[in-house]
Amino acid sequence: MSSMLKVVGKQLKNHPALIPLFIFIGGGATMSMMYLARLALKNPDVSWDRKNNPEPWNKLEHNQQYKLFAVNMDYTKLKKDRPDF
Amino acid sequence: MLGTDLQNYRTAPFDARFPNQNQTRNCWSNYVDFHRCQKALDAKGVDTAPCEWYRRVYKSLCPMSWVQKWDDQRDEGTFPGKI
Repeated sequence: MSSMLKVVGKQLKNHPALIPLFIFIGGGATMSMMYLARLALKNPDVSWDRKNNPEPWNKLEHNQQYKLFAVNMDYTKLKKDRPDF
Repeated sequence: MLGTDLQNYRTAPFDARFPNQNQTRNCWSNYVDFHRCQKALDAKGVDTAPCEWYRRVYKSLCPMSWVQKWDDQRDEGTFPGKI
């Protein structure tokens, strides 16, 4: 594993123009993994522990925003309208 | 006349728990909540009028075939949700 890194390090020293490539590919991979992790942990459709958390979508507040970017939807003005029982 | 009739029509309001295009879970959740509400208020002996909200929402959202299927399953005792 470290020998692979040494080879890559030598190649980079000889061709420093490749460094932005690593930055962008690494950044893209990191963003994908972070989105997958957000889906796994925060998505209200996902329940890891079905016995203690059977319906995770009911844990959202009536004006809580789950989406990353909500266009045309003012979450602060939502009123709670479902009756309790 | 048609204009005022149209203004009086209502539909299920926006539900922050289900903000995306797929509203399947919205339909399921309201169906199940209606029957849970009925069961809970019947057990307490209270008038089940507040449950009406859930009934109207699931009637707006759910395809009729799903509602019929779930009603049959509830009668048979094979309904997969917890009521």
